[in-house]
Amino acid sequence: MKDEHSENWPLENLLTRAHVPEPSPQLKQRITAEARKAWDQTSADIPWQIPLRRLVASAAAAVLIIWLANFSSDYTLAQWRPGSACVATQQPTDFDMLPEMPYGPFAKHMVLVDRRSRVIDASALSDYVESVRRLLDETEQNGVSTPLAPPGGSSRLAPGRADARSYS
Amino acid sequence: MLQAALMRDDPAAVELLWDRYANDLLAFLKCVLCSIHDAEDVLQMVFVRIVRKRHKLAKARCLEAYVYKIARNEAPGWIRRRKRDRAVRAADESWLVVPKSPDEPGEKLRAALARLPQEQREVIVMKIYRQKTFLEISGFLELPQSTVASRYRYGMEKLRIMLENITL
Repeated sequence: MKDEHSENWPLENLLTRAHVPEPSPQLKQRITAEARKAWDQTSADIPWQIPLRRLVASAAAAVLIIWLANFSSDYTLAQWRPGSACVATQQPTDFDMLPEMPYGPFAKHMVLVDRRSRVIDASALSDYVESVRRLLDETEQNGVSTPLAPPGGSSRLAPGRADARSYS
Repeated sequence: MLQAALMRDDPAAVELLWDRYANDLLAFLKCVLCSIHDAEDVLQMVFVRIVRKRHKLAKARCLEAYVYKIARNEAPGWIRRRKRDRAVRAADESWLVVPKSPDEPGEKLRAALARLPQEQREVIVMKIYRQKTFLEISGFLELPQSTVASRYRYGMEKLRIMLENITL
């Protein structure tokens, strides 16, 4: 430590030959005048005003947030159109009968998905049934009937399997 | 006395503030900003800020730490603004007054000090030019005394290396 001090001494000696200038009287006058002006502008009753202002600002922010949330909700509801009557008149599924389950929101989501897929399937199925019915009508009108038994009255079974009943 | 004037909300506290802190704060700001004009402008901002926050200052446990904290907060903002306007930066090098005689390495000393990291430079300037102890500096900067001492030591080592070809 002593060595360090003795090492620093010449450098400190050199440094002390220079100096940092003191503030001038003009600077003092300028700065104190500005400070006094600022003093006059900030009145003494500010300390109790600060928390009051903060409270008012917080309350205003809270009111604004709530109003925005309400507005957003109303807007979203106005945009919403109820789905098809088919979906609206769906009978409750077994999931609805279930008591409160863990993963409730997920289960409800699955029920909704299930309902949607059923609606799609029902329409597809009705289309399919309609097309089959049309095909059958056309077939009937043409008077073509599928043979119930092969011509010649012979069995469709393979010859070797004809005596298969004898085993039972 | 100063704190009492602040408590009374007496504008005479401005003068007391000036007498007590102006020299040290100006030296501190000069070594942080390496510019006398910038330091004077920031000192004005610091005084205005102190006056606006005088109610907090009146209750502060350590006035010095509070005042230096304001100065430390103001200076970086000024440096950022100055970086944006580089033309202003080049003009002012008179923050440290060095001897004029031709055998003195004054210019090199000023340049070497300016090249030091800010945290080391501020400790050296406070110690050498304001005759503050490490304990006092640690109070101003809100740092452990050991940190202040090591900053001083590292700063002096760097200065010695930078000025090694100068006869100390």
